[in-house]
Amino acid sequence: MAQEQLTAVVIDDHPAVRDGVAQWLAAGTPAIRVVAAGDDVRVAWLGDGAAADVVILDLHLGGPAPATADLRRLVQAGRRVVVYSMRADDAIALRCLESGALSYLTKAEGAEHLRQATIAAAAGRAYTPPALAGALAGDRSERRPALSARETEVLVEWFQSESKEFVAQRLGISLSTVNTHLEHIRIKYAMSGREAPTKAALVARAIQDGLVRLDDL
Amino acid sequence: MGEHATVHATMRIALLGVAAGVQFGLSLRQLAGHEYRPTWVAVAAFATLALVTATAAVWVVRGKPLPRTVVALGTVVSLTAASAATAVVPEGGHFGAPDWAVGLVGWHLVLLLLDRVPVLLAALGTHLVVSAGQFALAGAPGRAEVGAAGIVALGTVSMQLAVVVITRMLVRRTGQAMAVAAERDRLTTRVLYAEQWEREQRTVFAGQLGATLPLLADLADGVLDPRDAGTRRRCALAATQLRRLFAENDEVPDPLVHEVTACVDVAERRGVEVSLAVSGAAVAVPAEIRRDLTGPVVAALSAARVRAKVSVLRTDEDVRVAVVADAGAEVVAASTARVEVECGTYGDYLRTEARWRRNS
Repeated sequence: MAQEQLTAVVIDDHPAVRDGVAQWLAAGTPAIRVVAAGDDVRVAWLGDGAAADVVILDLHLGGPAPATADLRRLVQAGRRVVVYSMRADDAIALRCLESGALSYLTKAEGAEHLRQATIAAAAGRAYTPPALAGALAGDRSERRPALSARETEVLVEWFQSESKEFVAQRLGISLSTVNTHLEHIRIKYAMSGREAPTKAALVARAIQDGLVRLDDL
Repeated sequence: MGEHATVHATMRIALLGVAAGVQFGLSLRQLAGHEYRPTWVAVAAFATLALVTATAAVWVVRGKPLPRTVVALGTVVSLTAASAATAVVPEGGHFGAPDWAVGLVGWHLVLLLLDRVPVLLAALGTHLVVSAGQFALAGAPGRAEVGAAGIVALGTVSMQLAVVVITRMLVRRTGQAMAVAAERDRLTTRVLYAEQWEREQRTVFAGQLGATLPLLADLADGVLDPRDAGTRRRCALAATQLRRLFAENDEVPDPLVHEVTACVDVAERRGVEVSLAVSGAAVAVPAEIRRDLTGPVVAALSAARVRAKVSVLRTDEDVRVAVVADAGAEVVAASTARVEVECGTYGDYLRTEARWRRNS
């Protein structure tokens, strides 16, 4: 299983985006193969798409209303979803995380973030790109989890600089500590709000990775 | 309310003089010139009325309204003293010169009840009825005596009522006059405010143009070489400052982001690749704080060479505006009274952050 190539299904209403994403994912290391692509969520449920490791979902398929119901159904089925959106909207990003998406990227964020998010999602891990970090840092909702001062600083610096090396240098910590903080934050979010299989899996994964201990929960 | 108080306070001082003047100028002579039986009752009544005047004076001379208890007590005491004095008037003296209290007490009542007209009318009425009763009980008066008494009673009461009517008219007139004066004051204030606002706008513009004018002068005089990198950076700075200044007075829902966007716009025209990220719901930021927050953005963006990332973050506690750029030059930006500014160079990168703690 570990030796097999990672696979993804891309749902987006623009053919150029579908092809571009497939190209980006195939060109990186490790290469990720897009096994199905289309402008309808059905490609993720049928044929090759149904077995893909990661679902890359455009939230605005042709209409102004975001496809949140589709996202929720995929997550309920245990699918690992990366939301890939045109809009940098904090509220929508937070709602996607609440529903159980493993990552939320805006299309302005480029190939590297998409690759990182897809690889992380394939392993059931979360990925927090800078725009999402900004959304989490600016979250003023009632039920947001309590973050430590250091965690907040890491979020803000990552949002501001888009470079983890820069964050590490600024705060005088190692790169892996930066990542650990970001994962911690995501686990706190996964443990708040509505339950979802992927969120439970994310927490389980974190315990397995030794990121959190059972008595922290 | 205000004009009532002023008119009443002034009228009361006059009434205080009238009550004291009538009592000591006219009534005292009658008290001394006639025989009352028993005498001490008349003297005590006189002293009591003088005491009521003196007590009222404590508040009246300070221009304060009389307390309710003083008014109630004073009214009852005055009426009692007056009828006591009338009760010991020698035979045939009712409503005449010996009956000094009948006219005098009316002034006390007006002094006490000037601002409570219905109560005043009731008190004056009671006084007249009681006096008339005493007059009737003192022995069957003849028609001529009744007529004379009526004239005296009517004469004194109408003078006292005239004072009440004049006071009410004065209150109304003063109210109108004060409304006119207040409106004129408001207009004057508005004009002054507008003038000051315009002056401030001029100073602000002149202050912020400060960097631009000497630069233009030096370019025109050939002191500065437009090909020089330093000159170009100063021009970039001046251009960004101006663009931000123009954006400052635009009516937009999110002025901070609007001003930051204006700065980004100038940098992009210069060929710098800028990405702008905004997070957190918009909050109201006062204009001078916005100026302090965008100042470092202007400085950092005009120093950026190829790429820059500008971010605006609004959380529960603060508003943070940051720039991370590949710096072509050192950037110096200082903290202000309400905005903390952090500036630093990290390898090839320059970072500035301006932070406003909303609750501080």
